Amino acid sequence: MIEVHRVSKVYSVGPVKVPALREVSFRIAKGEFVVLTGASGAGKTTLLRLLYRDDLPSEGDIEVLGHNLVPLRRSQIAALRRSIGVVFQDAKLLPVRTVYENVAFVLRVLGTPRREITERVFDALRIVGLSSRAQAYPAQLSQGEAQRAALARAIVRRPPLLLADEPTGNLDESMAAEIIEALKDIGSGGTTIVLATHQARLAATLRRRTLTLAGGHVVKDEG
Amino acid sequence: MVGFLIGEALRDLRRAGRVAVSAIVLITLSLAALGGFWLVSSNLDRAVARWRDRVRIVVYLRREPPAADVAALLERVRTTPGVAAVTFVGKVEALRSLKQVLGKDATVVDQLPTNPLPASLEVTPAAAAATPVGARELVARLAALPEADEVAGSVDWVEQLSHWQRLLTTIGLGVGAVLGIAAILTVTTATTLVLHARRHETEIMRLVGASEVTIRLPLLLQGMMQGLVGAVLALATLVLTYSLVAPRLEPLVNLTLGLSQLVFFTPVGVVALLASGTLLGGLGGWLARAGREP
Repeated sequence: MIEVHRVSKVYSVGPVKVPALREVSFRIAKGEFVVLTGASGAGKTTLLRLLYRDDLPSEGDIEVLGHNLVPLRRSQIAALRRSIGVVFQDAKLLPVRTVYENVAFVLRVLGTPRREITERVFDALRIVGLSSRAQAYPAQLSQGEAQRAALARAIVRRPPLLLADEPTGNLDESMAAEIIEALKDIGSGGTTIVLATHQARLAATLRRRTLTLAGGHVVKDEG
Repeated sequence: MVGFLIGEALRDLRRAGRVAVSAIVLITLSLAALGGFWLVSSNLDRAVARWRDRVRIVVYLRREPPAADVAALLERVRTTPGVAAVTFVGKVEALRSLKQVLGKDATVVDQLPTNPLPASLEVTPAAAAATPVGARELVARLAALPEADEVAGSVDWVEQLSHWQRLLTTIGLGVGAVLGIAAILTVTTATTLVLHARRHETEIMRLVGASEVTIRLPLLLQGMMQGLVGAVLALATLVLTYSLVAPRLEPLVNLTLGLSQLVFFTPVGVVALLASGTLLGGLGGWLARAGREP
């Protein structure tokens, strides 16, 4: 599903080179739920951005869902991303659209037949427990509800791979637990999940395979 | 999908707000100016074409040739370069024409002791000779005929008319181009605002793997919509102006230019005007997208 081989990423800030990842290698099998943990600045977000081809590694190879990501053309990147759901710490909901419209937007953009959209949107909202808030606008949602709406948007296409970058970062414990439960439900359906979090306690309670990043290196791969 | 793209374009138009309205007004003005000059120019062009067809050069003959020699003379003139057709007008026929022109005063002619009118040849120039230079050369050739006493006629005034028609076309194109460029820039500004306003949508679209066509087409469509609305308004303005002005101008135009009716655009012209507006708007949208798309 995912194969990362000796990947390094260096950012240039003027003349200064800032290494974000150094010689990172790992494999994630289909259907796995992997937690990517580490302190802020450890390289988690950089690694996730490389996985959905928002950026290119400075060195090394990455294969996701059978695609070698480095030489991909723009149209191939679009094709890859149709198979990946992404959730961020900031829910990134469109403020002038309802929850339903936010989730449906993804399907409409991808040309899903209109008759399928309603059913799939309500399926996704049911999985994240947000069916009753379908007509609410983002400003009317709690942070936890907004994050669940973002999660529904990420899974509405039923992607085989879900990348979640600090989805509980802005949430209190009970809201975070709701998101984690939703992610577990999604994972139990066979979706491969990579969850990045700086919250070590959360990572520990999940009892899943955990990759720990520090200073751009994978320092621990356990579980 | 088409419904989605059009819906997004309409949403973008609403976002552009007053700037989009300004762009539409400018497109309306530029196309109304361009269309107005085009209408005047095309009617003048009709007048020029009509008068070019009517241009005649008259060769007055020293003496009327015997009837047996007329055919040979006509043949000789017909084969002269620049001559399309030639007819012989004898002294008797010339006098009859004069009487027709004089109408109720024709009796004056009967009091003349002899027929003073010369026989003549009415020459229709070929298209190549219906220019000032061509006509002057033809007049010189006809004046060299041994039978010719005097040659009258030129196409100078028709050319003057043609000159004015070309000038009007140029002015129309110039004014239309200046306003058109202003319109394109305004659409570009409106689209730039839209780009900023829809950056979150664009980000989500890229994230979920939307095709470039799906991402870009709404921007192009909203520009084209501005252009089309501007063109429809320009067309409505021109139709209204034509229906008000044409009936009042036609008697004068008939008297001066010989045109019984002022014509409006053909269906092809209407389509061209609407297409031009759509193109202007689309170009503005495309320029903004090309320059600043995130």
